[in-house]
Amino acid sequence: MTERPKVTCRETSWLVSDARDRPLLESEKEALAEHIAGCSLCQGASEQFAVLFRQVGVYFKGDAPDSDEDAPDSDEDAPDSDK
Amino acid sequence: MTDAALDLTEEIARFRPMLYRLALLQLRDAAAADDVAQETVLAALEGAPRFRAQSSLKTWMFAILRHKMIDSIRARDRRVRMPDEGSAAELDITGFNTLFTAEDCWAAPKDVWTDPESVVERKAFFRVLEACLTKLPARTARAFLMREWLELAPEEVSAELKVSAGNLRVLLYRARMQLRLCLDLGWNRA
Repeated sequence: MTERPKVTCRETSWLVSDARDRPLLESEKEALAEHIAGCSLCQGASEQFAVLFRQVGVYFKGDAPDSDEDAPDSDEDAPDSDK
Repeated sequence: MTDAALDLTEEIARFRPMLYRLALLQLRDAAAADDVAQETVLAALEGAPRFRAQSSLKTWMFAILRHKMIDSIRARDRRVRMPDEGSAAELDITGFNTLFTAEDCWAAPKDVWTDPESVVERKAFFRVLEACLTKLPARTARAFLMREWLELAPEEVSAELKVSAGNLRVLLYRARMQLRLCLDLGWNRA
């Protein structure tokens, strides 16, 4: 069994960013997956990054709701207690 | 002009402020952003008779803007080539230290985020996202937008911003880290 490089949470955050710009090496993918599997903090962070990247895509595509102030809002108030 | 054509014309004009804001994020120059928003509106008006509602009008116009922006960059249009010095802080890889422990573990547990779904939630989310994008340092934002919006290759972005591949990597990392943090504070905990 070969020794895989261990990564820290901080290095994991770099790999999550790098993966947007280049294909990760197999060794990086393994190190990332292994670290995330055993680290609930990184699972949380990765999920947040995933939401960020998805929604940024929506925004850039022009699929975000119009934000102008004069646009008619929905009649009902937002239930804002669930966040 | 038919009623339908008139409606479409009005609709097209209505998107101008949104096009302007997005262009401004990339260009960081009000006059240049206004120009390209105007050009996009004109191109949309010209193309309106051929517009088929397979996509939303807004998506279609955002696509026109995106192509105009890419063309300008590739044409080495002066307008989008502002000399951009940037600050040393944008390239500081030791940033975000407070987010990590001395062992480089995340210092605090992460709240669970879910994609915004209702119209109200989405409006709130995108309002914060736009504010967070606006807060990014100019060069950081331009790097991020060229990658995530214009989808230019990293090599092209490096050349455009006159930064090394390594420095671009730092700019993009910082953009993503700052956006996550900004949304965590401004949207998630709002």
